[in-house]
Formats: sequence, structure tokens, C-alpha cells
Amino acid sequence: MKPTRALAIVLVALLFTWIGQVAVGYLQVGKLEPVLNEETSLTNPPAPSGLAQTGARVFASEGCLECHSLSVRGPAGSADLTRGWGPRRSVPRDYLFREPALIGFARIGPDLSDVGERIKEPNDLMMHLLNPKKLRSTSTCPPHPWLFELKLAGPKNENDSMPVTAADWKQVVPSYKAKALVAYLQSLNLGYPLPEAPLK
Amino acid sequence: MNRSQSSKSAVATQILIAGSIIWSLLGGGLQILANLQLLIPMLAYFQPTAVFGYGRLVPAATFLLTYGWIGSGLLGVLMILVPRFSGIPFRHNHVLTFGAIAWQLAILTGLTQILMTGGSGLLSLPFGRTVTLILLVSFLVLGTGITRGLGGTWKSGPILPRLYLLGGILAFPLGLGTAELLLRGGTAPGGVQIITQLVWHSFVHHLWLTPMALVLLFQLLPTLTGRPTTSLSLGLLSWGLFFTLGGWASNSLASQGPVPSWLQSAGVVAGVLLFVAALGNTVLFQPLLEGKMDEIRRNVALRFLSLGAWSYLVAYGWMMFLSIPGVRQNTAFTVAWNANQSVFLFSFLGSILAGSIYALLPVVRNLGWPSHSSLLWHFWCTALGVALTFSGYALGGVLQGLALNDPGVPLSTVASYLCPFLVVIIAGQALWIVGQLAFSSLLIATLLKLFPSTAPMAVFPSSRTSGADLAPVRH
Ligand code: HEC
Repeated sequence: MKPTRALAIVLVALLFTWIGQVAVGYLQVGKLEPVLNEETSLTNPPAPSGLAQTGARVFASEGCLECHSLSVRGPAGSADLTRGWGPRRSVPRDYLFREPALIGFARIGPDLSDVGERIKEPNDLMMHLLNPKKLRSTSTCPPHPWLFELKLAGPKNENDSMPVTAADWKQVVPSYKAKALVAYLQSLNLGYPLPEAPLK
Repeated sequence: MNRSQSSKSAVATQILIAGSIIWSLLGGGLQILANLQLLIPMLAYFQPTAVFGYGRLVPAATFLLTYGWIGSGLLGVLMILVPRFSGIPFRHNHVLTFGAIAWQLAILTGLTQILMTGGSGLLSLPFGRTVTLILLVSFLVLGTGITRGLGGTWKSGPILPRLYLLGGILAFPLGLGTAELLLRGGTAPGGVQIITQLVWHSFVHHLWLTPMALVLLFQLLPTLTGRPTTSLSLGLLSWGLFFTLGGWASNSLASQGPVPSWLQSAGVVAGVLLFVAALGNTVLFQPLLEGKMDEIRRNVALRFLSLGAWSYLVAYGWMMFLSIPGVRQNTAFTVAWNANQSVFLFSFLGSILAGSIYALLPVVRNLGWPSHSSLLWHFWCTALGVALTFSGYALGGVLQGLALNDPGVPLSTVASYLCPFLVVIIAGQALWIVGQLAFSSLLIATLLKLFPSTAPMAVFPSSRTSGADLAPVRH
């Protein structure tokens, strides 16, 4: 085999790899559009708020994906759905507004695709980030205290300060990152129908 | 290559290899810290900083082991090997030294980014854009240096190592550049980003690292055993399969979710055919090692290379097993995939890297390895450590998968099933580090010439006839 021919074969093979998967994938899932909900004139999937978008980056950088997936598997009766991880399976259209789009590859903890529906109260989610055992004493999710700040308490605690005691007249206040992360977790839900994935 | 030239290009080589050893120790250590947190979740309550959180340790360790240990190390040994089989020495050695330093800088920057501010969460691309840029610049220098003059001497030696080298060296920059553009250039919508991550993950493992390791196997096994590889056509077929389908294999990681089902099926087909290709190459390697048990025992380089050659088959066999649809349904999202990492990185690539360092470093430094008990420690700790880690992850993962797929088993119970396996895994990883420490102490002592420079241990057969390719090139 001549070197030029070998070079050409390798280049064609690499091109085939990218075009075969990404370009064809683009034609198939890249062209999907959100579905308009006639009643509310909002879209499905709903567009996330700016704060939730920031939260998605916090979620990625804290490595929550090393233990939690973001992809529910069907069909009806499957383990994922029976465990209550979502009302239906995840489909490509669900990831339309995700930036970065991630599915995760480990399930040390539960799938979080629908966690906004399971834990509705933002204060609960916030407390889970600070100390998961406060919410469920057996939880093995690690705490993320670095997402909170210790501030000197005034005569009155700040409105968003956490209901925990801190030494030296301090109060524990969520950082911007923590608020963004909670907004993102709240935005995670699969409770909207799509043509290819109706609700039940 | 005259003496002064060879010692100059040896600087770049030594930076790459020394870096590789340091990153391996660090990466292995971080991996143990992460697994300890999985074993004893309460530990997480005692560390107030983000730096050692599980979510940062895991991507940092994977990054160090992939790009730091294996990536840097393989580039280092290829820089010794290639000028000798192409017959063309390096020029501009200080540019190569710059490239080698830049690679280490990229790893250090990436590590700092992941630990201090967190990774990107992207598969096989956990670092930021600056690191991509430094990696690309460094690779441009090192890759050009390594492949320089390959075409001119194409006919003068065995073709298979040259073919794998060409492919591996092209795949890295083309893959990384495209992945970076698609994932962070704002050009790819959600679903496509996920496909892109899987493609890049395949590029790193099957189109970059595996081909570089195969260059070493195809070049060093015949040299060390004095037997030529047979059946060129089988070798060419495997090479063709590797480069056509290597980039498709990681699709089998996805189970349902946002990846189109035809791509997942393509991933399964790729997984099966890559195993067939690995089988084809093993058919070529096997006759080289047959009946050479004594030599394998005596020669540490050959020992590691044969461990690597067999692990190559096991790694692709295990990957194929995991991609079978019924199995994948169970093992997706479990630690069974970490078993893949342990056999792929630690056993297959890691052993080939170690074997090549043992075989090739004496060529540049004009030194030999002592017959020292550290050699045995290195080999047995590596082999036993990896065997423990692999079996812990494999069995634990299958059990975890079965439990996850039974909705009657609560998650906390699933986690408790994993505990005994984690103990085995951590023990295996610790053993591996002991082996790696033995190796590095030997390496440092050898580089500092603390041992007599004539080796009591024959790393190269004394008759140079079969080792002609490796004899220092003269001009
Ligand atoms: C070491 C693995 C690990 C990491 C890292 C991790 N988690 Fe968890 N998480 C768990 C486990 C295990 C559970 C289940 C705990 C239980 O209920 O026993 C869990 C539970 C949760 C829950 C409750 C889910 C439910 O349905 O009850 C939320 C919310 C959550 N984690 C969010 C996060 C976020 C956000 C991050 C990243 C900042 C994160 N986790 C990082 C392991 C982890």
C-alpha cells in the first residue's frame, strides 16, 4: 500500500465517522423543533430561564453526573418508570434547550430527569444541597457546603438564609451558584406530552 | 543519529515519560479517594472544599489517566521508536522539547481547572477550551516530529505499524478539533451534542490510543521475539475495520435516551466487528509468543507486552459483551463500564506502555535495567491489581444492574450491594499503585545511573540481527 493511498483511506474513514453519525444525526434529531401548546402558548419542552441555564453549568461542573443520569428509559412497566423517575421515557426533543446536553453514565443515585416534579419545594432542594441528611436521614448523596456562604448575621437573618444553626453569630446563605442549581433542578421535569412520547 | 542528537531528542522523550509516570500516580490516587467516598458516604461530610468532592475527583482521575498517563507516555515511547524504524532522526529537537513541555502544561492546566472550578461534564472532554488549544499545539509539534519522513521510508520496513501510526496521529487532532467546534462552538443542538460526545469518546479510545499501542506491539513483538508477523492481509483487514468502525463503538454506551436507535444498533455492530479485528490481530501476535514462555519470564519488556497483547483481546471482548442489547439494558449506568476502563487503560494500554518503556528507554539512554526485585513487584502488583479491579467492577456492575432493573429494590440497598465489591476494587487500585511506585523508583534510579549501566537483565537479544530496526541509526 502506498503512503498516499493509506493517508486517503484514513481520511475517508474519519470523514465517514463524522458525517455518518453527526451529519446524519443532525438531519434526524438536530432539526427537531419545540411543540407549541395551544392552550398556554408555551412550548414543549419549556424553555428554561436564564438562571436555570446557569444552573445547568453548575450541575455539570459539580460532577452530579458522576452519580445521576438524565435519561429515563421506557417502555411502560420498565424499572425506570416504575421507580417513579418520570411519567414517560426521555426522547431527543427533551434535550432541545439543554446547554450543555448531557445524559450521564452512572446511577449511584436516582435519575434526575423529573426531579423538579418529585421535589417541588425549592427550599427542600436547597437543603438537599447543603445537607441531604436533613431531608432524608438515610440519604447518601454528598453535601455541597461550598455552594453556600457564611455571613455574619445581623439583628435579623437574611430572607434566604438556611434554617440551620451556625457558630459565631453566622448565618448560612446560598450562593448565586446554589440558587442557579436549584432553579435548574426545578426545571427538570418530563411532565409534558410530546407527539413521539405521550403521557401514558 | 549521532550521540548528541539522540541525547537532545531524548529530553523531550524523558519529559513525556516522566510526566506520564507522575500523572499515573496522581490519577490512581485520586481514583482511590473517589472510591473511598463511594464506599463510606459519610466521608463527604468531613471535607469542606469542593476540590475533593466525588464529582470532581472522578473526571480529574479519568482525565489524568487518559491524557496524562497513557497519552503522554505513548507519545514518549513513539518518539524513541519511530525515528529508528523510519531511519530519519529528529531535527529541531528544542521544538520537540517545547511540544513535550506544552503537553504537560495542558495536563496540569486541565487538572487544575477540573479540581478548582469543576469539569465541563462533557464525555472525554472535561477540560476547558484553553486546554484543547494547548493540546492541539503540542500535538501538532509532537505528531509532526513523530511522523516526519514516514512516507519517504514507507517501503523499508513492516507496513502495519506505519498504518496504525498514520491513523492514530491523524485521528487525534481531527477528532478533538471537530468535537470542540461542535460542542462548544454553539453549532450543535442538544441531541447532536450527545452524539458528538459519544463519537469523540470513541475517537480517543479506539482511533487514537489503541492504534498508538498497536504500533508498539507490531514493532516490538517481532523485534523482541525475532519472529516476523505472518499474514499481511489479515492485518490489513483488521486495520481497515478499526479505522472504519472505531469511531462508532461508543454508541453502545447509550441505552435508549436521546440517541437515535439506528446509531445504537450501529454501535453494537461496531463493537462486534472491533472485537473481530482484535481477534484478527491476536491471531497475528499469538505465533510470535508461542513457546516463548521462558523468554517472557526472563524479559520484563516481553512480559508486559504479552500481558498487553492478551488484555487487548479481553478489553474488546468485554466491550462487545456490554454492548449486546440484552446485557446493555442491564449494565448501562452501572460500574460494569468502569471494568471496561480498568481492562482497557490499566491492563491493555498500560502494560504496552510499561513494556515499551522497558524495551526502548535503554536505547536512548544507553543503559540497562537491573535485575531487581522492583521489576517483579511492578509486574505482579500491576497484573493482580488490575485483575482485582476488573473483576470487582465487572461482577459488582452486573449485580448493580440487575438490582437497578428490579424496581422492588430500593436505591440504598443497591448501594449496599456494591460495598464488598468496592473493597476489592480499592484493594486492586492500591496494589496497582504499589506496582507503579516500584516502577517509578526503578526508573528514577536508572535514569540517575545508580545501577551499573550494563544490564544483567537482557532486555534486547544480544544478537542484533533480529533487532536491526531498533539499532541506533547512523549518518
Ligand atoms: C457520590 C454520588 C453522588 C453525587 C456526586 C451526587 N449525588 Fe445526588 N444522590 C446520590 C444518591 C446515592 C442519592 C439517593 C439518596 C437516597 O435517597 O438514599 C441522591 C439523591 C439526590 C437527590 C434526591 C432525588 C430524589 O428523587 O429523592 C437530588 C435532588 C440529588 N441527589 C441532587 C444532586 C446534585 C444536584 C448533585 C450535584 C451537585 C448530586 N446530587 C451529586 C448520589 C450522588
